[in-house]
Amino acid sequence: MLRKAAAFLSVYYAHMTVYRGEILFWLLSGLAPFFFMAIWVEAARHGLTDRDPLAFARYFFFIFVARQLQVLWVTWTLSEEIKNGLFAFKLLQPLDPFWHYLAQHLAERGVRLPMILVLLAVFLWLYPGALVFSGWGPLFLGLLASLLGFLLNFFVAYALGLLALWLEEATDLYEAWYVFFMLFSGYLAPLDLYPASVREGLFFTPFPHLAYLPASLFAGARVERAASAFLVLILWTLLFYLVSRWLWKRGLRQFSAMGA
Amino acid sequence: MRYLRLFFLFWQTALAARMEYRANFLAALGVVFLESAGMVFGLYLFYQNGYDLGGWRWQEALLVMTAARFLDGVFVSWINPNLRRISERVQQGTLDFVLMKPADSQFLVSVEQFTVWGLPSFLVAGVLFLYAARAVALNAGYFVLALLLAGVLFYALAFALATTTIWFVKLYNVVNFLGAVLWNAQYPMSAFDRPFRLLMTYAIPVYFMTTVPAEVALGRKGPGFLLVLFLLSLWVFLFSRAFWRFALKSYSSASS
Repeated sequence: MLRKAAAFLSVYYAHMTVYRGEILFWLLSGLAPFFFMAIWVEAARHGLTDRDPLAFARYFFFIFVARQLQVLWVTWTLSEEIKNGLFAFKLLQPLDPFWHYLAQHLAERGVRLPMILVLLAVFLWLYPGALVFSGWGPLFLGLLASLLGFLLNFFVAYALGLLALWLEEATDLYEAWYVFFMLFSGYLAPLDLYPASVREGLFFTPFPHLAYLPASLFAGARVERAASAFLVLILWTLLFYLVSRWLWKRGLRQFSAMGA
Repeated sequence: MRYLRLFFLFWQTALAARMEYRANFLAALGVVFLESAGMVFGLYLFYQNGYDLGGWRWQEALLVMTAARFLDGVFVSWINPNLRRISERVQQGTLDFVLMKPADSQFLVSVEQFTVWGLPSFLVAGVLFLYAARAVALNAGYFVLALLLAGVLFYALAFALATTTIWFVKLYNVVNFLGAVLWNAQYPMSAFDRPFRLLMTYAIPVYFMTTVPAEVALGRKGPGFLLVLFLLSLWVFLFSRAFWRFALKSYSSASS
């Protein structure tokens, strides 16, 4: 079992290094948090909030990291493979295709990580003193939240991709999920600057816990109700896991092998 | 004239193909409206607290967003689908078929595709423009002219970037990258921290695509700046043509 997993990961890691140029530009396309950081830093210098400009720099850097650990393309791949029939070959193997897609994504993080480190160096050069090591505990919790966030994103994306079995084309459905994420997760503005009522309403949605939670933990900031936040995140992850399994079972009956 | 006819023919078939996936289309529509509302809200967060984003009034800043939305529409409906296919064609070797056709190859690969998903962006841009135009004095003619020039500049830059796929084979994301930087430029340039201002002016000149049209329309920059924009667009356009022809020399067709 363990050997199989290791073989899978190493194969997909090799596969992904082929696409390193592609991954690099994808990474560069995800720099939005830094641009919004630039606006907030400038605003903080002009006294918009009483917060230190470097606090914004730190927040958005970790938002970027949390996001990078969670990026996905499984909706796109599933939708394409179902449309052009390649999906049928995956079904022939004595293994749930789910593991193929999951291994792909996990292995890709290995290619992406060194690139993030380069960006980290540039960031430290531009904003010296913005990052301070806040201890292993926060780092571990931040990684844990990111991992859960990745799984949640993955199940959502997987479920949406499976919808291609009925709709033939499902690539834009994930976009809808992404826009909700972008607006409600603290991706473009620190969530604590949103009106309190909005924040309260968002707490029970998965979005704040995908970006705001891991970023705040990484940054070593005080997180209110961290335990409940984790609980909400876990419940949503479980829910979407069940949904994706259910769609999988229903969808297989729907699939007619040749390009549907 | 012949090129114009080709143009419409391509668009017609592309539209028909897209409309087949209706659920996907509706999702894309909703996404753009939601996203635009979110971006306006994001801008409002600053103004509500009495901060004016580097000396721009609320409606003036919305004019920058108008330009960004318009170009986003151009990107989604036209630039992205076409330029992504260049990469696909190089990968599968179908670029050969394009090169064999008796028409300009850059023209063919640039206009063949068209999606309707950019239309909501145009709609949002129109609404934002009308709202801004009611509140501040601006020269609409300059604005439209500057936007068209910005569109040319955007296309030419994207095309030059997409051309590199001839060497790297699989490089879809390079076009997305430019789109992403443009997306980030929907707030006035003076609102950004200095390193980012330099980046967006000299390295990836999105400053000329969103902030400059608004500045020219508002009279913050004289009409002479339109000439600057014109020359810049022309230069990058000619460069993209030369670069494409240069790249094709390295293209070794499918079987080799």
